Amino acid sequence: MLRGSTANRLYYIAVAFLLILGAAAVAAPWIAPHDPVAQNVENRFHAPSLSNPLGTDNFGRDVLSRIIFGSRSALLVGIVSVSIATTLGMLVGLTAGMGGSWTDNTLMLLMDGLLSFPTILLAITVVSFLGYGLLQVMLAIGIIYSPVFARLVRAETLALRHEGYVEASRALGTPILKIVFKHIIPNLLGRVIVQGSITFALSVVVEASLSYLGLGTQPPTPSWGLMLKDSRNYLVQAPWMALYPGLAIALTVLCFNIIGDTLSERLNPRLQRK
Amino acid sequence: MKRTHLWKTAAAVLVLLALAAGTVVAGSQPEKKVLEFALQGNPDTLDPHKTAGTLTFQTLKSIYDTLVEPDQTGKLVPALAEKWVISSDGLTWTFTLRRGVKFHNGDTLSSADVKATFERLMKEETASPKRADYAAITAVEAPDSATVVIRLSQPYSPLLATLASGWSAILPKSLIDAGHDFANQPVGTGPYRFVEWVRDSRVVLEKNPEYWMEGLPKLDGVNINIITEQTIAVQGLLSGQLDVAYRIDPDAVPQLEASPDTKVETRLTALTLVMSINCSRPDLNDLRVRQAINYAIDKQKVLDTVYGGGKIIGTFMDYDNAYYKDFTNLYPYDPAKARQLLKEAGVGQDRVFELFLPQNYELHVKAGEMYQAMLTEVGMNVQIKLVDWSTWLSDVYSQANYDLTVIGHTGKLDPDGTLGGYGIPEKRYVRWDNPRAAELIAEGARVSGYENRKKIYDQVLELMAREVPFMYLGSNYEFNAMRNNVYEFRITPKLDTFDFRWTELR
Repeated sequence: MLRGSTANRLYYIAVAFLLILGAAAVAAPWIAPHDPVAQNVENRFHAPSLSNPLGTDNFGRDVLSRIIFGSRSALLVGIVSVSIATTLGMLVGLTAGMGGSWTDNTLMLLMDGLLSFPTILLAITVVSFLGYGLLQVMLAIGIIYSPVFARLVRAETLALRHEGYVEASRALGTPILKIVFKHIIPNLLGRVIVQGSITFALSVVVEASLSYLGLGTQPPTPSWGLMLKDSRNYLVQAPWMALYPGLAIALTVLCFNIIGDTLSERLNPRLQRK
Repeated sequence: MKRTHLWKTAAAVLVLLALAAGTVVAGSQPEKKVLEFALQGNPDTLDPHKTAGTLTFQTLKSIYDTLVEPDQTGKLVPALAEKWVISSDGLTWTFTLRRGVKFHNGDTLSSADVKATFERLMKEETASPKRADYAAITAVEAPDSATVVIRLSQPYSPLLATLASGWSAILPKSLIDAGHDFANQPVGTGPYRFVEWVRDSRVVLEKNPEYWMEGLPKLDGVNINIITEQTIAVQGLLSGQLDVAYRIDPDAVPQLEASPDTKVETRLTALTLVMSINCSRPDLNDLRVRQAINYAIDKQKVLDTVYGGGKIIGTFMDYDNAYYKDFTNLYPYDPAKARQLLKEAGVGQDRVFELFLPQNYELHVKAGEMYQAMLTEVGMNVQIKLVDWSTWLSDVYSQANYDLTVIGHTGKLDPDGTLGGYGIPEKRYVRWDNPRAAELIAEGARVSGYENRKKIYDQVLELMAREVPFMYLGSNYEFNAMRNNVYEFRITPKLDTFDFRWTELR
């Protein structure tokens, strides 16, 4: 574990990188040097140069522009699927935590069942039922990662509901929904945000994997996974086609993980005291 | 002490001598010449009567023979049948079998085997996907051990081509009667004997020393390695683990040509590369929209960029085919004309055309991406949908749930194989409705003789060229890469099966 100022510096670098990425995604049409889908086959496989800083691909499309536009699907998938996973997971977790043992057992059995499938296999199954495309991918990832949140929220809820102030509030006859919103949710939100950050990183990888398999983003829409798929046959000829989208995925995932780790340390009272 | 030392030295010298002698003896024995071949996929079965899969026939070409076969120019020449006579009414075909041909299990080929083979093919329980090819046959008779008589209900010219195709492979009667598992243990009369099939890994074949062609095959064996990743095949060739790889991606060619150990042979395929148009869908049932699609595509550019070059075509027939006719002047590349036709037809951005691409065929996917860009250029709203092969076969090819798709139609030995069924909307996935074309195609199968048939098919091809149920792209080059010491790697024209009989490793 990194400690003190190094960890802090890394944390701020990660936040800065993601902010820049977010800004790039929003401002893509204005900052991308070229149209990301415009084909120019006379210009294919050009090595990085001034006009194409990261080179061109097999259709002569600008790799930098495609990475900038690709950040849109990566971040969009992250935001939407994490929101879905959080909402679903919290709903299930709170119900299980606050409800009786029968509700708890049934819901958790369901969640454990979902959790026991390998992620990519489950994603492929969900996507083949819903059809291919970005929306389906987001739904799939949201469903797949909801058990993680459900377990976390349930465990926290079970602990919190026996805290003195919660029991006191119950004794005073406060409606259960009010207790949940006033006492339970605010106290577990920190943990959920940490989990959300890590899940965000995972969802970027799943989106890239599904697109690589042809189940996610459909061409010619730029996506990092799709760019990697395209680069597969040109590794010797045009290594930049694989290198830069790969770097984009790796850095984004790394940043979310750093943020998640730092936040979880800060929220942990035992580590904080040290 | 000294003595033991001497003994030890003597023993060591003796061992060394023995080893040296061993090497000399081993060196004087001829080395086994086994060809390591890379195939892109696993055959679905090794029973030639129960599949339509090209990979199966490519594998089985070395194990089985047919009554007749195409030579390197595509002409049908004697194989298991030495000669044949067709009666003047075209209803009775009499074949004389070659004598002394042995099956791999020791049986001697006789007319009873041929009769049993065709009866197996035509039986409903066999469920051969090619059963319709034999529908004209009413009876197969075996009057003596070397004579087979095939009787037809009506004249049917494509029959000889059917008999020369992989699905008419001749099986031994004794094993058919015994219910032998041909799907896993093929037994034929071919140049190589089946040894084993490790699924998703390799098919091992060894030389058939009793093969009926004098001096053939030249190799001691062939290992058909199943390698689905292009990059791995290329690396295998460069490192010498593989001897031949079939249909290398055009993008890998420069690397293999630059290597001093490998060479690349270029050959025009018998593929008819197309973008198929579902003529039953709204807007696409309008001839002007289909014409616009044909005008919008810069064919040579797509062929050169994606498929490694080739010859453009203007109708539904492969470029090298004897029945091919040039109609490329009908719809040249003209985006302005395309835009105008779309405007006349009232096709705007609100109409979304779905372009289905079979994602296992990387070249078709890339071509589809170029088509999408070119069609967008003339004002069409085209959305790409990647689908896996089984979905493509069921949804697109069988049920025609698509607007546009990209595919290559394989060559056929007989024009009826290419054209049969077109013009009748429910029979072919382009849902093209043209009774005149359907009638001509049916007539073409009844008439015999190249000249007579050519006149009929010329009309069919013109109808297809004008009505454009497809965007015809062309026939592309294929690149077969091999080590420098490989000679005579032959491919059967149209059928695209591998003929390893003459292949040598020098």
